[in-house]
Amino acid sequence: MIYSIEVKDLSVFAGSTHLMGPVSFKVKPGGTLVIMGETGAGKSLIAQAILGTLPGVLRAEGEITVNGRRVDQLYQIDRAALWGREIATLPQEPWRALDPLMRSFKQVKEAHRYVADRQAIEADLATTEAFEALGLSGAEQRLPGALSGGMAQRVAFAAATAANAPILLADEPTKGLDSARHAKVVGLLAQVPQAGGTLLAITHEASVARHLGGTLIVMRDGTLVEQGATDAVLKTPSDPFTRDLLNADPQNWPKTQSHTTAETVLTVRDLAVERGKKCLFEGFNLDVHAGEKIALTGPSGIGKTTLLDAIAGLLKPASGTVTRGQSLPRHGVQKLYQDPPAAFPSRVPLVHTLRDVARRHKTDWSRVMQFLEQLGIHPSLLERLPDEVSGGELQRISIARALTVGPKVLLADEPTSRLDPITQRETLLMLDRIAEDEKIAIILVTHDQSIAQKWADREISLV
Amino acid sequence: MSPPLKSMLGVLAARGLQAVIVALIVGIVSFAMMYALPGDAAYRIAAGRYGYDMMDAAAAEVVRLELGLDDPWLIQLWSWIGQLMQFDLGNSLVYGSPVVDEIATQLGFSLLLAGGAVAASLLIALPVGIVSGLNPGGLFDRTSMGLSVFLRAIPAFALGIVLVLVFAVQLKLFPVAGFRGFDNLVLPSFTLGIGLAAVSNRVVRDAVVDAMNADWRLFSRTKGLSSRLTLIRHVLRNAALPVVTYVGVQLAYLIEGVVIVETVFAWPGIGHALVHAIFGRDIAMVQGTALTLGLLYVALNLIIDLACRLIDPRGSVA
Amino acid sequence: MTDQSNMMALPHLQHKPSKLRLARVLGFALLLWLAIVAVGGPDLIGQDPAKQSLLSTLERPSLAHPLGTDHLGRDMVARLLSGAQLSLSLAFLSVITAGLPGTIIGITAAWFGGWIDRILGAFADAVLALPGLLLVLMLAAMSPGSWWALYAGISLTLWVEYFRYTRQRARIVLAEPSVEASRLLGLGPWLLVRRHLIPEIGPGLLTIAAFGAATAVTSVAALGFVSVGIRPPTAEWGVMMTELLPYWREAPFLILQPVGCLVITVLALHLSVGGMRRP
Repeated sequence: MIYSIEVKDLSVFAGSTHLMGPVSFKVKPGGTLVIMGETGAGKSLIAQAILGTLPGVLRAEGEITVNGRRVDQLYQIDRAALWGREIATLPQEPWRALDPLMRSFKQVKEAHRYVADRQAIEADLATTEAFEALGLSGAEQRLPGALSGGMAQRVAFAAATAANAPILLADEPTKGLDSARHAKVVGLLAQVPQAGGTLLAITHEASVARHLGGTLIVMRDGTLVEQGATDAVLKTPSDPFTRDLLNADPQNWPKTQSHTTAETVLTVRDLAVERGKKCLFEGFNLDVHAGEKIALTGPSGIGKTTLLDAIAGLLKPASGTVTRGQSLPRHGVQKLYQDPPAAFPSRVPLVHTLRDVARRHKTDWSRVMQFLEQLGIHPSLLERLPDEVSGGELQRISIARALTVGPKVLLADEPTSRLDPITQRETLLMLDRIAEDEKIAIILVTHDQSIAQKWADREISLV
Repeated sequence: MSPPLKSMLGVLAARGLQAVIVALIVGIVSFAMMYALPGDAAYRIAAGRYGYDMMDAAAAEVVRLELGLDDPWLIQLWSWIGQLMQFDLGNSLVYGSPVVDEIATQLGFSLLLAGGAVAASLLIALPVGIVSGLNPGGLFDRTSMGLSVFLRAIPAFALGIVLVLVFAVQLKLFPVAGFRGFDNLVLPSFTLGIGLAAVSNRVVRDAVVDAMNADWRLFSRTKGLSSRLTLIRHVLRNAALPVVTYVGVQLAYLIEGVVIVETVFAWPGIGHALVHAIFGRDIAMVQGTALTLGLLYVALNLIIDLACRLIDPRGSVA
Repeated sequence: MTDQSNMMALPHLQHKPSKLRLARVLGFALLLWLAIVAVGGPDLIGQDPAKQSLLSTLERPSLAHPLGTDHLGRDMVARLLSGAQLSLSLAFLSVITAGLPGTIIGITAAWFGGWIDRILGAFADAVLALPGLLLVLMLAAMSPGSWWALYAGISLTLWVEYFRYTRQRARIVLAEPSVEASRLLGLGPWLLVRRHLIPEIGPGLLTIAAFGAATAVTSVAALGFVSVGIRPPTAEWGVMMTELLPYWREAPFLILQPVGCLVITVLALHLSVGGMRRP
């Protein structure tokens, strides 16, 4: 039996520091291997070691066999000969993987022409076919900057698979895509083993693993924690970390309780919002009650963020009104941001930022420390700059910062979309507790249907 | 209208406006110079028109009446600028010949020097930058970094003096000054070229480092293109963009350098003529040469703009 | 005049920190020394830079004249010191004159936007339409040999760089979510400036100031050298170079002195902010 990929005791080192491994696995033609884990777990190192694209300072040990041929001992130039012809690679961030100065058709065509060694006319035909098959017609002459994330991923897919390489490596192929586009890319990947190819996919999302099936490897801090058939591992995980990871999947969350009270803090009537000259939506109505958890969903570009800005009073609505309840203080509406580091002055230690806010609102410093403690933030972290703490910690500090003002409404714009699943779950649970304890209304923007269903009291879908 | 054409017209319009502003500034400053300098303006203008030999009190009176030198200064400025806009630059007060004729011969020399300087800078910056960029942090990179900082601190004219003393006077490899043949081009070109390359080699280096680390370069390789094809089809174009853009940034330094370096080497170009004219208070020549240098600056900028459009199809306005 | 990174002024300090610090310490030490020398001037050694002595011209260094004498028998140390005083005071003053208004106007333009921003931007573009030195040359031509014309011309061209940098950076910073967050949190304009603008823009402004000062020193010398700036007999480095050039064969050590002073000054200024500045 010739395996497509066979890896034996693979480890990766930086100098003498052990970064990842050992891992061993085999994938048959027509098989699927999914590698799952959080950011920094060393998932990408496996793909890079198989390809031979590890950065120069890193070193791999162990045996790697591709289609029956030992590759880890080969010279770089011979390993590169496999690229595109035997192993196709789907990039993590397709936008950045496409040449920004070359039109998308040409980027796919050059793979047909030079990798698959087709004549110019045949390459033209094959590229046109690929664009049609992937639903990219009309995007041929666009530059990568003018493609949406989903389109860019499909262009990259067309270019990577032009020479019909039997193996496909996909490293976080769904990063940054909204749910509809997410499903499309996963569907595309699932077709690979069906057509007899071999798929090696890296993801941090259990739902992606579930969809792709095959075999599953779970990684944590560079160590393999669990390995087995994907269905079996997902159904009955044996390792506690895998269980945490699966519990962190919003689909598996328990439904939170409602803490809604009768008090109305904010009323929105007949709101219409424009961006540029384009009307995004109109006739929007909403009553927000203290302690209520509202989820706001809808595809990218529909105007969810713009709506939040209008509610926060940062943006003048085209028409309609946002009426604040009588108990709502002047700074009673606060906001959480998608990218926590961008929400703090970047060169000022966090403690200054928090003290500024506490002083402005005459909040006792001990109360701020109390918030931080509830959120599990050690005070020593405050001496650091925003980019010196993790995204999850920073998001919790920004929650504490908002609470310092004593708000009644908290607008949260995808506050966990850049966080790892476990951190995401913790953060949202904290927000739930805050809604209960402080009787704060929270409007959460999310692109994840499951989060909306499990976490919120009610969901508003913008279409 | 298609977007590329539109952005092209935008570039032309912006540079056209800049040319008008250059003409206005030069005109206004020259006009002010006319009044700021001691002596009778009418005499000076009459001399500018007819030459010192043909000029007397009567001629000055004619000029005074014709130009309305007793009119409010705003009206005078208006007619002064009007003349300039018709490219009527008058005669040199020193040589008596039309300013346009003087400039016509000088312009060629200045263009030659500017071209030589850019060529010299690329000759240094491209290899040094590429080798540094291929091994960032290496010995060569660090050495070229240190040298760049040092050479950048030497003003062009000081470097010119040193090069003359070493290569012309001591080693007698090149002529000292003037223009008798292309031998003369070498030292002034490198004087300017070294100053330009001291910065631009770092820009080339960064462009190479960026291109080599870019995700798109790796993807081009992993999709199966050879390193040669990746270089030709992707790396060169992407790396060229910041370098060409930076040549545009250096144009101001180039024009300023031309003025100073021409004087150091007694190069028969416009910059030398400008300095000479300022020294001799030849206002017509000052205006003519400054205007030409200013317009040359605009024209070179336009060429760089168009080159960037050619390389970068995105059509963003830089 | 124009620093080469003028149009895309985004200062970056991209070295290894230790080497960067070494370079900056060296630069600052040199600057401090130059500042002391410039404040003291020729009084430091009690010699008159203008006192001629036609019996002792082009002398080699001696105890009486540590760096020798020039073609008119004037003491070189006194002349170099006097030149340092002139160049550095002009550089310092023009950096202040250009920097303060440039920065304040830049922030104003970014803060308010709209037509104020457009008018100020157009004015800056007009100043930049000509290479800076060309403008300084023409202004200097209006009143030949005048210190004030040089000062005004240099300040006028340097001003634009602060303005453009501040406006561009401030516009980006003010549009960041962190500023929106601070506003929502109720923090006033002063805190926005202190916590957001100053930390983000300050280091870049320092770099521009150092490079601008270097540009000013270079311009004064360049204009003096081509005889359209400061006039003899004033001791100015560029003027001294012109005067001493004819005597390079008899006394090569003389011409190299003002050249060396100029290079050291520019180098000190560049090093004090890390040495390299590029887009």
